[in-house]
Amino acid sequence: MKKLFLCTCNNTLNKTVDFSKVEKEVAKAFDTIETVDSLCLEDGLTKIKKSVSNGDQVAIGACSSQIIGIPVKEKLKTDLISFVPLREHVVWVHSEDSKSATSKAIVLLTDAALQLDYMEPPIEFNENMIERVLIIGGGIAGLKAASDLQKLRVGVTLLEPPGQNDEKYYEDHFFMSDKETLAQMLKTLHKSLSGVERAQGYVQEIEGQMGSYEITWKDSEDNLTTQDYGAIIIATGTQQYIPNIAKKCRYGKSERVLTLQSLVTRSGKKNAKKGSNILVVTDPDVEMSSAEGSHLLRMTEELASQGNIIFVSHSDIQTDDENLYRRARNSGVIFLRGNVKQVKEHDGGLTCLIENRLESIVREVTVDTLAINELVGPISDTTRLAAALGVECDDNGFIKTRYSKMKPVQTSRRGIFIAGGAKTVMDLSHALVSAQNAVLEAFKVVRSPLKHSGWTPLIDDESCDVCKACITACPNDALRLFEDKVIHIPVHCEFCGICVSACPTRAIEFQSHSKESWFTRLETIAKTHSHLERNKPFTLVYACSECANASIDQAGFTGKSYASGTYVIQFPCAGMVSPIEILKGLVVGAERVIVAHCPPGGCHHQTGDHLSELVVQLTREMLREVGQDPDRVRATYMMAATPEKMQKEVELRG
Amino acid sequence: MDKRERLIQKIRNIAVKTPTRILEVPEKVEGFGTISYIPPSCSACKKCIEACEVEALELEPSLRLPEYINAVIPEEGFRSKNRESLVSLLQVLKQNGEVQTISVPEGLPGYGSISWSAQKCIACNKCVEACKEDCLSLEKTYDLVSVIGEVEPPPVVEIHDWEPFIICFVCWECSHAAADLAGLMHLHYPTNIRTVRVPCSGAVEPIQIMTALENGVDGVLVTGCLLSECHYGGDDPLAGNFMQADFVKFWQSIFEEIGLGGRLYIDFASAAMGIRFAEIVTEFVERIKNLGPSPVRGKLEVQS
Repeated sequence: MKKLFLCTCNNTLNKTVDFSKVEKEVAKAFDTIETVDSLCLEDGLTKIKKSVSNGDQVAIGACSSQIIGIPVKEKLKTDLISFVPLREHVVWVHSEDSKSATSKAIVLLTDAALQLDYMEPPIEFNENMIERVLIIGGGIAGLKAASDLQKLRVGVTLLEPPGQNDEKYYEDHFFMSDKETLAQMLKTLHKSLSGVERAQGYVQEIEGQMGSYEITWKDSEDNLTTQDYGAIIIATGTQQYIPNIAKKCRYGKSERVLTLQSLVTRSGKKNAKKGSNILVVTDPDVEMSSAEGSHLLRMTEELASQGNIIFVSHSDIQTDDENLYRRARNSGVIFLRGNVKQVKEHDGGLTCLIENRLESIVREVTVDTLAINELVGPISDTTRLAAALGVECDDNGFIKTRYSKMKPVQTSRRGIFIAGGAKTVMDLSHALVSAQNAVLEAFKVVRSPLKHSGWTPLIDDESCDVCKACITACPNDALRLFEDKVIHIPVHCEFCGICVSACPTRAIEFQSHSKESWFTRLETIAKTHSHLERNKPFTLVYACSECANASIDQAGFTGKSYASGTYVIQFPCAGMVSPIEILKGLVVGAERVIVAHCPPGGCHHQTGDHLSELVVQLTREMLREVGQDPDRVRATYMMAATPEKMQKEVELRG
Repeated sequence: MDKRERLIQKIRNIAVKTPTRILEVPEKVEGFGTISYIPPSCSACKKCIEACEVEALELEPSLRLPEYINAVIPEEGFRSKNRESLVSLLQVLKQNGEVQTISVPEGLPGYGSISWSAQKCIACNKCVEACKEDCLSLEKTYDLVSVIGEVEPPPVVEIHDWEPFIICFVCWECSHAAADLAGLMHLHYPTNIRTVRVPCSGAVEPIQIMTALENGVDGVLVTGCLLSECHYGGDDPLAGNFMQADFVKFWQSIFEEIGLGGRLYIDFASAAMGIRFAEIVTEFVERIKNLGPSPVRGKLEVQS
């Protein structure tokens, strides 16, 4: 039995929408309709629960599924409910025009009834995860991750590069913190790792999938070891290098030119010469991270406090701790904005020309010693390691994160995480936090057996041409070729539906979202619309269920009203939209079709925003050729922070 | 250079006229044909490209919309259902006006169309067999125009005291015996021919005929056993001389197109037909005399 629950949201929604007309019009689509005052309260939820336990198919016309969906899902543990956000998508945005609002409510509810027809129970997956994590790299982040995982009673292997020693580590990672803290931290961490299996070697290859990766590494004597792991944490860290500007400063040619690091080490000794003039040179072409900036400030302060006169030529120094800068200045460090242009050596020392292009000033400074500020980059093995593990690197050569804000420790491959300096240059506290983050993510993978229930792509081998378009399109490595067939790997799948859009033959269909269901739904929307509103044009918005949908909900919250003949159709990801759905929308009579995706580079499934732009580009080309106005179709991004976007986009198209 | 490339190079070498016609390929001739492609039902699966051993097929990032618009969707639909939807939706949206091929944005998987190279194709039919969508088929025609391209006619050279020079491929079963018999019988036939003995008339390769012509020979004569009496196959339709008869027909049509019409001839004589052999030679020499010297000589003149 199909049952519709309508919520008046405490007698507010029925002031705009004519509920009695709605009930009359959708009576054919549903078997029973019940109007409740506050569906989200205990009474309402109990009613829904009773109905669901009777085996009814339930549609809810209330507020956004982001709000009512949460208590409903918690209480009922079912996905087989169709939500119609009457409040955010109808009442709050069309309050001026009661008649049109009522019509829109009827269209959306009729569509919801239809959705119920196509809804299938989600498939549940149970995968056995190997409760063991491999940590690559034994620096601060790696040790911290190993120690934390051990506390969580997860098996750990710590794989260190052969020949690593702590002294070298301090030297290379000076910038993370002062030496004492770093040494103390390393000591404590080393002590806490009594039960951790430790190995030395370089990762060679990886096979399998999240939860059961098979990893092979080679030790210094070329012996191969293969073990199974549920998850991997990359904590390879950073190394220092001499910047290009060193050459111009006569580094390696003159005894008076040293690296800042070695100068600090030398001046720390008892018989060191005091009271010399030192110019610290930074490379203007490389952007310094705040960890490096803080380190530079700490070192200059130390040198200045030993009675030296310190100049720093710089273009930009970033630091999280402003006090470091203040302390450096108070101890006498002189900051000169500009780049070293020329260095001349003579008996009295080094004469340097420092050019400040902004103010067109060239200063001349004569010093005893030049100190080159070393830079920090990913360790040289990173690119090879990334290729061996099948993860991507960013422009600077660090391991790339999946989504820098929301998924900061995830790599492009599922089940592989990054901790510490493998991601970017980090100081001690950031490295520790990132290690903890990576541990939590890895822990989630290996400990909670994946009980994902979702609408999955179903592959029909009969009609599959094995063209591999879906494999190319899948951003998560969730489709693979196995014995000349395309197979689906549920642990990797994010259920975005991008593969469905890529498939030319319709061999992949998404559960509950078959092409046929889209066709019928679009036809019904058009039919219901023209029945109620006659010739009034209407717009279809294909919104991704992440950012774009949140933005449209937000438009409701903030009362950014838009034309009433606008129907929002949710797709799991905008990447699931293919030219077929867009053209179908136009064929059934939509004036315009807008494809709304996440902001560029912000797709929750990595590539959906980009792919939907390409699909729309292709569709517009097709429309132009067949003599239609290509502007009837447009792709745009929407996000919760810009609720006015929906208003603008719809207005733009009447 | 592989065999096909060498052959096409040879044809280009002897061509004195730009071909204009698309040729029919006789039934028994294999290795020459045209792949016809129906883009609307193609799923760009690249199975044909994987099957092709001579790299004659490529996937182009384009959608051939004109064919989409004009496509007739069969009752049971295309195998590729998404393409079918796309084509039928586009046909509904079609307004008046020209439609042109569009390019597919880079990075969008699942779209594209197949391009085929007449030069490289050896008509092995493997792509057609690999195609699941029935969008490829092998046609018995040969697009000489696109294979050869533009040909610049060579200058006409004046040759004094010209006598035709003819290569005659004789099979070493019947027709060689016929030539012997003609000698034994003291039959007189023109001195213009030089015989080349081959195991069977079916063993004469096109590349050998081309090489003869390329070197300024005025005509090529192929003789074999009587039809259905081939020593290698007898009356089997695939017997050497049956095959060669069809091949020669094909090469004759090619020579016609490239300006060497009538300079290739095949005939048959049994071991007892010495008189017939002398007749064949006399007739062919007469024909070549009427045609005049080979225009390829002009080309040779230019090269030297």
